[in-house]
Amino acid sequence: MNTMKWLLRREFWENKGGFVWAPLIAAIIMVVLVGGVVGYGVASGKMATENVTIRVEGETVHTTSVNVAKSVTPEIRERMASVAANNYIAVGAPIFFVLPIVAFFYCLAALYDDRRDRSILFWKSLPISDADTVLSKLVTVLVVAPLITIGVATAAALAILLFAGIATSYHGVNLFGAVLTNVNFYLAPFYLVGMLPVYILWALPTAGWLLLVSSWARSKVFLWAVGVPLMAAVLLKWLDFLLGMAGGVTINADWIINNVLEAILLGLVPGTWFVGASDLPAPTNSGVPLLPMLSYSWSTLARPALWGGVVAGVAMILAAIRLRRWRDEG
Amino acid sequence: MSAVISARGLTKRYGKQTAIDGIDFDIPAGRIVGLIGPNGSGKTTTLKAALGLIPFDGELTVMGHDPRTQRDALMQDVCFIADVAILPRWLRVMDAIDFVAGVHPRFDRARAEKYIANTRLKPGMKVKEMSKGMIVQLHLALVMAIDAKLLVLDEPTLGLDIIYRKQFYQNLLEDYFDENKTIIITTHQVEEVEHILTDLLFIRDGKIVLAASMDEVGERYVEVMVAADKVNAANALQPLDQRTVFGKNVMLFDSARAGGVSRAQLAALGETRNPSVADLFVATMKGTYA
Repeated sequence: MNTMKWLLRREFWENKGGFVWAPLIAAIIMVVLVGGVVGYGVASGKMATENVTIRVEGETVHTTSVNVAKSVTPEIRERMASVAANNYIAVGAPIFFVLPIVAFFYCLAALYDDRRDRSILFWKSLPISDADTVLSKLVTVLVVAPLITIGVATAAALAILLFAGIATSYHGVNLFGAVLTNVNFYLAPFYLVGMLPVYILWALPTAGWLLLVSSWARSKVFLWAVGVPLMAAVLLKWLDFLLGMAGGVTINADWIINNVLEAILLGLVPGTWFVGASDLPAPTNSGVPLLPMLSYSWSTLARPALWGGVVAGVAMILAAIRLRRWRDEG
Repeated sequence: MSAVISARGLTKRYGKQTAIDGIDFDIPAGRIVGLIGPNGSGKTTTLKAALGLIPFDGELTVMGHDPRTQRDALMQDVCFIADVAILPRWLRVMDAIDFVAGVHPRFDRARAEKYIANTRLKPGMKVKEMSKGMIVQLHLALVMAIDAKLLVLDEPTLGLDIIYRKQFYQNLLEDYFDENKTIIITTHQVEEVEHILTDLLFIRDGKIVLAASMDEVGERYVEVMVAADKVNAANALQPLDQRTVFGKNVMLFDSARAGGVSRAQLAALGETRNPSVADLFVATMKGTYA
């Protein structure tokens, strides 16, 4: 257990640029932009007098801010606060798209870079098993990195929510009290953490495939990791076409491409399990309800495709460990 | 004391190429063994097999473990430097010490810090800011602070300048080595390790051609500065090798060879002395590059 702690720390030292600085910089840019806009509005006094456009019950209304305060009834204010409390974290979405990019390249480099610069010979001279080494990389990418991202995104969303609150206050609509007394405001980050186990399972085939390539390839890891699935897709389409011409049979190439290849290449994107689903919890007047989203996420554990991916992912990780053990670096 | 490393019929093939050809050897504890051979002779392959880095055929026991199946247990007692300056570029001196202290139960932090204090390394320095010599100093400080029973050094000083090399071997002998430890060294710079070795293993084309302690080597091999009038007589005794130094013939004899010659006989031919390991190596490996 102690060894694992140090292995995780090792990964952090090497990769804090990608896992901490990248989301942090994205967050800072977002906060500064929003803060700048609000600050400019407040400082130039535009917010108090100029025309503003707001959406009330789906209808776009042009009005002046003096009228805004009047037109926002207590019910509407309550609803705005509820949407804010429920979904303020959605503002951090761009930060969640930094994660899969960083994680993708991290996985590709994880078992390759130290073979390329031969520092693997240093790590292998210490009493650390190859299984521990590979698992530490898996934990880093599937647990540590998402937790950091959730933390940074939450902080950024809070800052932006604060700016938004200041902006609405200038229009005479004070939302702070209503937002702060809404329990969802406090639970939102925990709902995200609650989705993490689901994310890990969906991401496992991609992480496994990338780690396998990283452990196996002697060079050009990116080309192997992306090229092989793309070539396979092209070949499958071609074969499907030929079979269709010849005998009217199909090997269902599109199904394979959609399910297998996406699982192998896109699994690190958060929330893939929501994509294309027809039975998502519907948005309500108070925003997208997070608790149903969380329980929906867990309900995807009933999909056979998920477990097929998990089995394949685990198999590829075991293969990566075995390759790590015996790959001769010459 | 049983052997630290014991090989029987150790064989390694890369495709059709045989890198190690069924070798047998034993290395007892408390020795400093020089594993010496030309490029491509199988030195590094032998060491990799012993360290569990590659699969192999035959029998090989290291500290009582099979390196193929018990590598994790083996690495508790064994440490190695397999190449020069291979520490990762992002590593900081202080992080490196923390990490090894965290994962290695036999690491002595105070000792590593003492070594580092004697160098120009600073705790916050990253490997990418260091010269090659400094990287080696850091690697050495880490490894020498590990109380391993077996230390394997494969070309540990390749490409370093003479000051680092001298210091390296001096530290190894003075601060690290004791009768409970065993060190195996491969190197091209035979002259530099000659005085610290206790045993020699010459390897050629995947076979062991000489396995002897330095004492045995001293008794067995004799170099004679043959006087000009006795060259024919000396040639008749079948020297292993001969060369000319300042117009004099220097011949190397193996007194243990069947029908060999005694020291007294050789003394009659001219001045005798013990050959250097380098001369012995050259004589033994003659024809390797031909």
